[in-house]
Amino acid sequence: MAAFLNFAKRSASKPRCFLLPKNPNAFAVDNPLSSAATAAPSFSTSQSHAQFPTRPRFKQLFDGGGIASGTGEIIRFTQFREPRWISSQSTAVSVPTTADGLTVDAIAAKGWPILDESESDWRSHAAAIAQSVQLIKKRLQWRKLIIRLDQLSFVINKPNLWDDPVYAGRVSREHGELFNKIKEVNSYEHELLEHIDLIKLAREENDEELELESMNALVNMRRNAKEKELEALLSGDNDSCSCFIEVQAGAGGTESMDWASMVMNMYKSWAQRRGFAVTVVEEMPGEIAGIKRATIKLDGEYAFGYAKSEVGVHRLVRISPFDSGKRRHTSFAAVAVIPILGDGSTRYEIKESDLRIERFRASGAGGQHVNTTESAVRIVHIPTGISATCQNERSQHSNKNSAMAVLQSRLDQLEMARQAQINAEHTQSLAEISWGNQIRTYVLHPYRMVKDLRTNYEVSDPSSVLDGDLDGFILNFLSASLDKDGNI
Amino acid sequence: MNWIWTVEMTLRFPLAIRSPLPPALASSLHRRLPILSSPSAAALSSSPPASPPLFLRPLVFSASRSDFLDFRRWAESLALAAGPRLTCDGGPDAGLLGRELSWLLEDASASSDSSVDEVRLRVELEELYRLWRERIEKRRPFQYIVGCEHWRDLILVVKEGVLIPRPETEVVVDLVAEVQGFEKGLWADLGTGSGAIAVGIGRMLKEGGRVLATDLSPVALEVARVNVERYELKDKIELRQGSWFEPLQDVEGELMGLVSNPPYIPSTNLSGLQAEVGQHEPKLALDGGDDGMDHLLHLCEGSSLALKSGGFFAFETNGDKQSKFIADLMTTRWRKVFHNVKMVSDFAGIKRFVTGFRR
Repeated sequence: MAAFLNFAKRSASKPRCFLLPKNPNAFAVDNPLSSAATAAPSFSTSQSHAQFPTRPRFKQLFDGGGIASGTGEIIRFTQFREPRWISSQSTAVSVPTTADGLTVDAIAAKGWPILDESESDWRSHAAAIAQSVQLIKKRLQWRKLIIRLDQLSFVINKPNLWDDPVYAGRVSREHGELFNKIKEVNSYEHELLEHIDLIKLAREENDEELELESMNALVNMRRNAKEKELEALLSGDNDSCSCFIEVQAGAGGTESMDWASMVMNMYKSWAQRRGFAVTVVEEMPGEIAGIKRATIKLDGEYAFGYAKSEVGVHRLVRISPFDSGKRRHTSFAAVAVIPILGDGSTRYEIKESDLRIERFRASGAGGQHVNTTESAVRIVHIPTGISATCQNERSQHSNKNSAMAVLQSRLDQLEMARQAQINAEHTQSLAEISWGNQIRTYVLHPYRMVKDLRTNYEVSDPSSVLDGDLDGFILNFLSASLDKDGNI
Repeated sequence: MNWIWTVEMTLRFPLAIRSPLPPALASSLHRRLPILSSPSAAALSSSPPASPPLFLRPLVFSASRSDFLDFRRWAESLALAAGPRLTCDGGPDAGLLGRELSWLLEDASASSDSSVDEVRLRVELEELYRLWRERIEKRRPFQYIVGCEHWRDLILVVKEGVLIPRPETEVVVDLVAEVQGFEKGLWADLGTGSGAIAVGIGRMLKEGGRVLATDLSPVALEVARVNVERYELKDKIELRQGSWFEPLQDVEGELMGLVSNPPYIPSTNLSGLQAEVGQHEPKLALDGGDDGMDHLLHLCEGSSLALKSGGFFAFETNGDKQSKFIADLMTTRWRKVFHNVKMVSDFAGIKRFVTGFRR
């Protein structure tokens, strides 16, 4: 608890909680599943007792008029391999194989050349899809996912689970989400293996129609794979949430405040391009130019998932427009991203009595004496000292509601940090920003370049980046942080 | 009365509009402006010179984007230049004026993306120039310029002759919401003005709950009527004309609650008010007599008769001194009539309200 309060204090006085990328070493375990060496034996052993359906029966299945009428039968066909499916919600998953014992990892390890989609070569399609499956698993942190699912299943089977309905609700929600994620990938694997089986069989049967069907199915899978890869990038705990982005100017006065507002504008345009609704929640303007600090709210699916890549310090090098001597200046701006947790998973319960609500910048007699459109409100959460201000709405009531929303999410974030500290399973690491935590440099002079220091991704046109063309940086960072070797 | 708000369901436009709206456009307007249909498309018809609030007018004008931006730049520079002069008497600074300007444009134009070269407007651009000059040079309150005030989650119509509801007063509605069983009671809002408190309460009431809102000023009552109708509260709020308790004689001793934001500024302070208030808002709604408490004291006395046993009251006051005086009076001389008397602070920390219950 002391640590929590300490954290709260630091967060209140300076910038608030900042997210760091997930701890990359948390689950850096060996991965026997992905190595060809272990896959090979399973290939040979499975082959020895592989069971093929008899020919006449199979023929009968597909004479009936194509895939549509055959679908039900395909399910029956797959029942042969029941043990390779997830057998129950609570046990870990066994590795699916083709009838002749090929696993997805084994396919990927074969090194079959991946040709263009238009080439009608099932090995090429299969290799491409297998690679995607591996990438998706890596991005989902597959092993961690399965361990977590096991833990949750254990908890869910406890008879006294529902003694605490709130906890039970949370656990079963998480269990359901993980289970679905795993099931989705598994059925994707099965689909691949099944089509391979079908193509092999169709060849034995000289059934061109069937071969073509399955080939087309593989091509479709290959196309969908790219989308699934991207989805897997955004599979973190709160990735699908809307979020707040906060930008704060570093030391250096007007110079940095101007830079902070450039950064904020970059996010506003980026968010608009991505189709997120942008609301300015709070803005503290600089005396001469720019902003000291500002908060915007991005509403939309996966806003947090994308924006979290931007957490850290952004550095600008340019000839200062504020320096009459035209000298080169370096400015810093810090960026924080806070997820807005949807209802139901709100983790911090605010007590009304813990709040102090005050009129921001109020002076004089007030009431009937004053006509003003200034109705900014600041809400202070007394136990943590954390506060939030909103001044952009047209009524005090709305300002209060907006400030409450900001406060709630700040406290949620704090609560998440606290849980991360006390809960070893919770590996998402949250840390306060330090000005040494530079993530990206924008150089306008003497040359022009934007370079991400985490991924080394760089672009030679700073103006397009400052106009909001950030997706390259974001996707590179997301894949770099999730696609590391051993991160499965 | 130079303007008439009627209850017919059509929109009649000021004569000044040059191009009459084709019926097709008029009906699509209804769809495009959610505010016209909800809260209630209560119809605002008006005759010149006064006209409905900006945000309720149809988008029948337009200007080129460059002219529009020219106006914005001009208005900003005017605000910047006037800022220091206005703050002398407590008026808005350049920052606040900048925000008012963007709200003016928000109310007067349709949002469109910046690639379109035409901006659709609810008034002619020249009118915007005139309005902004009035704001800066004549210190006409922003809320009268746009004809509305955002208050709680409401958009209330206001105009000259009625007090612009203050942010502090929003709390009165919250105070009422804390009273047990308020949803089904009979309430009174004395000196309702634009009807702000009455509408705020009315929206929370359930079956059986009602508000009687009174005002001496016919102008105020007309404006209140518009607001009551816009929020479809005609069956919950009854407007009555008259001074304080006069129109409430038939419900004496039956009220569950009584709220009021009466005039409470001491007469001697009136001359020192900021121009927006002193020169534009109705004296009737501000002047509280010598020590500012003429009406407050009348309300206290009257509520002993008007409230039923256990009834609740909440009055807004000029601040610490008045609140303390009234609270003291109620806990000493009138302690046999009232109990549980409290002072409640506004968000600026000023003891703004006195609340309590009839024994």
